[in-house]
Amino acid sequence: MGLVILMAVFVIGVIIGTPVAFALGIAAVSAFAYEGLPLLIAFQRITAGISVFSLMAIPFFIFAGELMFHGGIAMRLVRFASSAVGAVRGGLGVVNVMSSMLFGGISGSAVADISALGSILIPVMKKKGYDEDYAVNVTVTSSIAGIMIPPSHNMILYAVAAGGGISISQLFLAGVVPGVLMCVCLAITAYIVAVKRGYSAEKFPGFVVLFTHFVVALPGLLTAVIIVGGVLSGVFTVTESGAFGTIYALVVTVVVYRQLTWDKFKTAVVNSVKTTSMVMVLIACAAAFAYMLTYFQVPSKMIDFLSGISDNPIVIILLINLMLLLLGMVMDMAALILICTPIFLPVAQSLGIDPLQFGMILMMNLGLGLCTPPVGACLFVGCAVGKVPMESAVKSIWPFYIAILVALVLTTFIPQVSLALPMWLAG
Amino acid sequence: TEWKGWNIHKAGYPNTVGMDKFAELVEQKSNGDFSIKMYHAGVLGNQPDAIEQVRIGGLEIGNFSLGPIGPIVKEANVLSLPFVFDDVAHMHKAMDGAVGDQINAAMEKKGLISLAWYDAGARSFYNSKKPITQPADITGMKVRVMNNDLYSGMVSALGGNPSPIAYAEVYQSLKTGVVDGAENGWPEYESMGHFEVAGYYSLSQHLIIPQCLCVNASAFRRLPEAQQQMLIEAAQESAQVQRNLWAQREAFSRDKVVKAGVKLNEISEKEPFQLAMQPVYDKYLGENPELKPLVMLIKNTK
Amino acid sequence: MFEQADALKRSRYDRFLDYLSQLSLLVAGIALVVLTLTFGWLVFGRYVLNSTPTWVEQLSLLLVVLIAFLGASVGIHKNTHLGVSFFYDRSPFWLQQLFQLISQLSLAIFGCVMMVNSYQLMLFKWGSDIPLLGVPEGIRAIPIMLCGGLVLLYSIGHLIHLFHRVKAALMR
Ligand code: NA
Ligand code: NA
Repeated sequence: MGLVILMAVFVIGVIIGTPVAFALGIAAVSAFAYEGLPLLIAFQRITAGISVFSLMAIPFFIFAGELMFHGGIAMRLVRFASSAVGAVRGGLGVVNVMSSMLFGGISGSAVADISALGSILIPVMKKKGYDEDYAVNVTVTSSIAGIMIPPSHNMILYAVAAGGGISISQLFLAGVVPGVLMCVCLAITAYIVAVKRGYSAEKFPGFVVLFTHFVVALPGLLTAVIIVGGVLSGVFTVTESGAFGTIYALVVTVVVYRQLTWDKFKTAVVNSVKTTSMVMVLIACAAAFAYMLTYFQVPSKMIDFLSGISDNPIVIILLINLMLLLLGMVMDMAALILICTPIFLPVAQSLGIDPLQFGMILMMNLGLGLCTPPVGACLFVGCAVGKVPMESAVKSIWPFYIAILVALVLTTFIPQVSLALPMWLAG
Repeated sequence: TEWKGWNIHKAGYPNTVGMDKFAELVEQKSNGDFSIKMYHAGVLGNQPDAIEQVRIGGLEIGNFSLGPIGPIVKEANVLSLPFVFDDVAHMHKAMDGAVGDQINAAMEKKGLISLAWYDAGARSFYNSKKPITQPADITGMKVRVMNNDLYSGMVSALGGNPSPIAYAEVYQSLKTGVVDGAENGWPEYESMGHFEVAGYYSLSQHLIIPQCLCVNASAFRRLPEAQQQMLIEAAQESAQVQRNLWAQREAFSRDKVVKAGVKLNEISEKEPFQLAMQPVYDKYLGENPELKPLVMLIKNTK
Repeated sequence: MFEQADALKRSRYDRFLDYLSQLSLLVAGIALVVLTLTFGWLVFGRYVLNSTPTWVEQLSLLLVVLIAFLGASVGIHKNTHLGVSFFYDRSPFWLQQLFQLISQLSLAIFGCVMMVNSYQLMLFKWGSDIPLLGVPEGIRAIPIMLCGGLVLLYSIGHLIHLFHRVKAALMR
């Protein structure tokens, strides 16, 4: 009965439009009260949920991303990518994917990626004769790459939700190949669709211009090198890398690019506070919710349930994929990572799937969910930025879904896609 | 009655087996009237949070180290003074006698009662640089410590650079040189893989911190006398199981890492280390003069 | 997410809430900058001075809780939290008002419960200190207590708007 209350309060809350974070909190507190557990503990869980040291990197990633956008780094990255691959047919589509690899690689947030890159790229694409639905489709789906390519705060969430036993730097390494793989699939799709629709190519600006754009973009690109390199080389912990990258981005945008005015700095800080608090409160309330799920022993019940359906690992993993996909369609990513990890990870591990690989499967599924109706933050923001009605964007987005699904299938069935790089580097 | 219990360890660990044994014994002795649902592997929160949950009464039982209880119960913090015990036998003697009783009485004022003391062995220094034989060897080393002023004071007093780093990050930090060393017992050193990246283990045995099988004080006091007695018996029996398994586990881990090529060294001269701790004791007992008799009681337990 | 063009004049209470949310953003923004700088200091200390400032970690945990909960309360005021508007957007006016009523009422109650329990949690934790920082553990609970109070105030603000909107619709 307690479990029914937990789920019912949450679902009703979401349907009537209560913010997801608070719906989780309200549901958890209701269940605590029904079970006669001290409410103090509900609020201990809420505070403890974000008093986790690994999470301290999240504000830094977000802040660095904001500084890069407002300080002109993002714009220079786009210009460099555009001079590099603009000469391909439908090149701006490929540029879009590449920019997401470069920028999303740093901000680690798909929504930030869309609002930052989308607001630069979509207008440019429209002006060059690309259809607006195409521009939105590419922007939205390629932003998922930012989740896979390190650093990624969603990976940190996964590590935390898994109980802290998974190394974040290993996870970051595991994300590289699936992320690039997804980008390649998307770039190919962007190219094919562009050819079909008969978009023209840009003129190649010549190697001098390409080189100039590279040099100009380099100090900004180094932000990513510092953050990711700091973590992987182990010079810094994840949090220290985030902080150091943020300070570096601040220096570059103020001293080198001289584009970060006091007003832009304030905007960057305020936006960072808003995004950080949105993510963190979600984590906080999800911790109380997850406490009750554990209390009701949902994870072990889920294992029993799934192993009752079939004893074929492939069937079970496909089933998990399907569940994640459906959940991803109706709910937001961060909350789902926090709720689904403790439930599905033990199932996956009992099937012999490595936690690193399962993390990638989880990210891709939920990432795809971000681009689908009815609830897809990326799709919403993309359509808002591109000023396209959701219906028309969705009509032509399916080739891009297929591209992501191809990457997902490869990641699900070939463990080496996720594991080869971390294993190779661990020696 | 149904109680809920917390334990941070995974299946198969001595503490997990001990806790399950406790639950089983309680169920047996009460003919099924009293049952305990154990949540292992720390799924209901980390140790400081779980201690709070038992104190508040959301959970009734927990297997805690006296280390993180120290900041809440001053008397328990005495056990975190470096070199306060000569060896594990000394610790057993003290905890099973008057020292344990005094600490338990202090814990009850903060809502916790220990029914039995579990073992956690002795903690020693290990690092990736060189064997430690004298305090000077630690000078300049970056050493990971747990979150407690006494532990960071200890490393500082030896001339090292104490770095509080999350337990899960220690392996990576040792590997990449964010820290040079850390300190822990054999089972942790082995099971967390730290021996792969920090190959010198020096038997300093500077901390011997016992663990408790703790219950919520008011839930326990509400029970009829007979049931209280039954729980204590079950806890004591489970502690015997845990202590035996712990000894086996230590031996196993020690063999494993030595076979893997870890350079193990005894420290024949412990006095220089103990003398170096004087400022830590002075500062701590200066701030908490009322604890001096307890420290003396421990030192005089023979 | 549910920004409706409120034709109603902003009352004195609304302006008070606006002021509160500005103040919260200011404090949280300063906390974010301080957080960044202390970590710069940590890295500098560990690699240059060879002496790690041990208080940084514990302080950062406090700062993040502060940023999170102050920022979150502002999100309630400005309706900027992630929510699912799919059903809301497809509902008729009266159902929407009902949704809002339930939603804001439950937020108000939640804010209230949050404030009271965090206050008690603060008292409970006050006796022991945060290791390596030397301030009472209870401080951890203060931001969430503040957030509870602010959420209560903001949701009352939304409920007042709801009341006026319903009244206006009934008059028409
Ligand atoms: Na990323
Ligand atoms: Na993109």
